[in-house]
Amino acid sequence: MAVDADVVRLRRGDLNALSELITRYQNRLYRYLLRIVRQPAEAEDLFQQTWLRVVEKIRSFDASRNFDAWLFTLARNLAIDHLRRIRPESLDEPLANSWHGESVADRISSKDHTPLDHALAAERRTEISEAMAGLPMIYREVLTLRFEDEMKIEEIAQVTAVPVSTAKSRLRRSLEQLRDALEARYPGGTWR
Amino acid sequence: MNEHDKIRELLALAAADALTSAEEKQVAEHVRACIACSNELEAWRPIASELRRLPTPQPSSWLVQATLARAEAKFTEQAEHDWNHRLMIIVVAFAWLLTIASWAVFHVVSGRFERLLGPQFSHTWISFAAFTSLEWLAGGVAAVMLAIRQRGERRLV
Repeated sequence: MAVDADVVRLRRGDLNALSELITRYQNRLYRYLLRIVRQPAEAEDLFQQTWLRVVEKIRSFDASRNFDAWLFTLARNLAIDHLRRIRPESLDEPLANSWHGESVADRISSKDHTPLDHALAAERRTEISEAMAGLPMIYREVLTLRFEDEMKIEEIAQVTAVPVSTAKSRLRRSLEQLRDALEARYPGGTWR
Repeated sequence: MNEHDKIRELLALAAADALTSAEEKQVAEHVRACIACSNELEAWRPIASELRRLPTPQPSSWLVQATLARAEAKFTEQAEHDWNHRLMIIVVAFAWLLTIASWAVFHVVSGRFERLLGPQFSHTWISFAAFTSLEWLAGGVAAVMLAIRQRGERRLV
């Protein structure tokens, strides 16, 4: 069933629709929150708060809008409030360690064939993950929205509440910073 | 800024598939003729490709259940709140209706209904209005005090 239909049912107070929406969005929403706050326990708490906020605000949701963008905007506002309260410095400052919550199996893609390919691919992703985790929050956010959630620039602009041109230049700067970080860690392009 | 520099700024976005179709066309035409930009675009591709294939961290298995349970409680609380709100509006409207009607009924019973429709504002009318306003003011103050107390208790919980 389409998201729109679930949203309409949820607005009527149907809890089954909520269950379907949570199940559908659980991985994307959790990943997004984890990329922002970097701590699994905090991401889980924010995940719950986001859905409570959805229940609270669903009646004021304009059905002509994109539900994805609305949901991620709610999550973003809660995450930013949380960071401001708990670790205000983390909104700008990079953190050295990588994020958690991934198993070794998660890191290995089925598209890679030999055990050596698996190991190399896993290693590359770890390197990218670590470099990305070291970027400021606004850059981590735009990278996850574009590459992991596959949002269009217009949707990213909507979620992050900035003009499309800003979202675009933010994406470019985030890629440049990521590349600089990778080249600083692995001079001569050895990470590739 | 010449065209080469402009295109160079678009290469990261080209690898991210974040260009408009016009920009895409511009970049494609330029990289066909410019080896430096073609190499630069190739340098961006593995970064974009690996970013698309990053593993998705999985939330704990209990998280969805816990979220649903909390959301259900919130739903019930909100439905109760809405019901109380509607009930309060009805009760207030009914109370006003009774208050106003009681004055007319009193006059009908005492046989002085025509005075009620008279043009002058009698002393009794003013006393009645003052008394009623005072009653409602006291009720309003009590409601505000109760709400403050309830909020304080909720914060403690």
